[in-house]
Amino acid sequence: MTVAAKGVRATATGRFRPPAVPAGAVSLLVGALGWEALGWLWQVPFFPPLSAVLGRLVEMVGEGKILGNLAQSLSDLAIGFSISVVFGITIGVLMGAYSKVEAALGIYVNALLTAPSLVFAPVFFSMFGLSRATIVAVIVMYSIFIIIVQTTAAMRVAPGDLLEMGRSYCAPRSVLFRRIILPAATPLIMAGVRLGMGRAVKGMINGEMFIAVVGLGKLVIDAGRRFDAESVLAVLIVIVVVAMAAVKLVQLVDARLTSWLPSTARGA
Amino acid sequence: MIEVVGLNMTFGGLTQSGGSVEALRDVNLRIEDNEFLTVLGPSGCGKTTLLRAIGGLVTWNSGEIRIDGRAVTGPGPERAMVFQNVALLPWDTVLSNIAFGLELRGMAREDRERKAMELVDLVGLSGFERRMPRELSGGMQQRVGLARALAVEPKVLLMDEPFGALDEQTRRILQEELIRIWERTRTTVVFVTHSMDEAVLLGDRIALFSARPGTVDEVLRVPLPRPRSRDIGSIERSAEFVAIRSRLWERLREMQPDLRRPAPVARIAS
Repeated sequence: MTVAAKGVRATATGRFRPPAVPAGAVSLLVGALGWEALGWLWQVPFFPPLSAVLGRLVEMVGEGKILGNLAQSLSDLAIGFSISVVFGITIGVLMGAYSKVEAALGIYVNALLTAPSLVFAPVFFSMFGLSRATIVAVIVMYSIFIIIVQTTAAMRVAPGDLLEMGRSYCAPRSVLFRRIILPAATPLIMAGVRLGMGRAVKGMINGEMFIAVVGLGKLVIDAGRRFDAESVLAVLIVIVVVAMAAVKLVQLVDARLTSWLPSTARGA
Repeated sequence: MIEVVGLNMTFGGLTQSGGSVEALRDVNLRIEDNEFLTVLGPSGCGKTTLLRAIGGLVTWNSGEIRIDGRAVTGPGPERAMVFQNVALLPWDTVLSNIAFGLELRGMAREDRERKAMELVDLVGLSGFERRMPRELSGGMQQRVGLARALAVEPKVLLMDEPFGALDEQTRRILQEELIRIWERTRTTVVFVTHSMDEAVLLGDRIALFSARPGTVDEVLRVPLPRPRSRDIGSIERSAEFVAIRSRLWERLREMQPDLRRPAPVARIAS
């Protein structure tokens, strides 16, 4: 409606002016229409149209399946991700500051960064059993290593001229760290936290799907076993929204912490 | 008083061939209290290295630097540096940057901000104290650098080509400001520059450096009267200014081997 109205105004001025709608919204709209059309045309059980999926989502919310499980998943995510941020940054700072710590831990961190984290799910399962501790551990396993690696690298980006300036004012090592090294490292650390958040959401879903007793992951597994594509996709939509909101939250924190950066220097 | 006695410095293993570079050889220099000494020389002559040595930021092989009779072994609170690339903390406001040295001395926030505000006024940055460094022009950033150094009330101000990266008009304005501020504070200044005009305009004396190895070639007294902040234009037109400037150029030109003696063509061809 608004788009049409704007189009009319644009032609009235005799010039084509693209309507001021954010590109993301347009992209979503096109994707949604394409999904709907493909669903109707294809007519296969594993690819229902968007309207059917959204209808199912409303039903599931009404049945109380979504919100309870969502709350469960999000609390696990919050706990696991907090552990990753606190320990990840601490370990990363220590590795960046002390070469001996890096020599001792570096190889493990890099190995575990590239290893498929879900492999550890059975180990945690046998350690913690059918408890949320298993899922939290999987979330930590997914997200902590990228934060460690980024923080370690971030500890070395403080410009030499700033460190020299600090030394010329007789700054002790602790002050150099607090006033120069750490602030300079913040943008790169926050990039690691952002990547870690994306991985934590993956860890949450994968962990829940593996354990399959709680959370959104359990809903996906249950629906999948019934070949209920509508429910699987409905939960998938919830998961994507959760992931995007979580990353957005990290971006907001990042923007606050690194407001001194010129806007062009920060990843959007 | 700063005394530099028989200073030798060699950078080892920095060249690709693995050989060492003799940066300073037998540098002797004496800088009196309340004196403005400019250090002039061709690029790569070690003048900045000497300044960093006086600042206690580098170590040397032999010789000694003494400030009021005490040997320099590292940075000290009686010295403050102004850097060519300014080196402001990009995450701090202008005011916090100026107060940085005071913060390191353990001064309470309220006191150091009051003190820093005085410096904001002194260097002509009133109204910009809450801005971030990236919002400032190059000339304004260097005013912050100068204010940060002056805030700690150093006995010795060490300035490393502070106006070298600025455009000519901004540089002239800041030179005038520096003369005005210095004639009020009379801090001992060692000012490194590659600009002959700047060396003459600012300095009481000029230490002329020669390159490879860097050493003091000659020390000249600038016969221009003070205060100079009144009319820089007429100083630059005076006979004394012109005379000392041509003397400096004579010496600097002789230090450029490739200008006097072109390399043999045959060797370039092979």
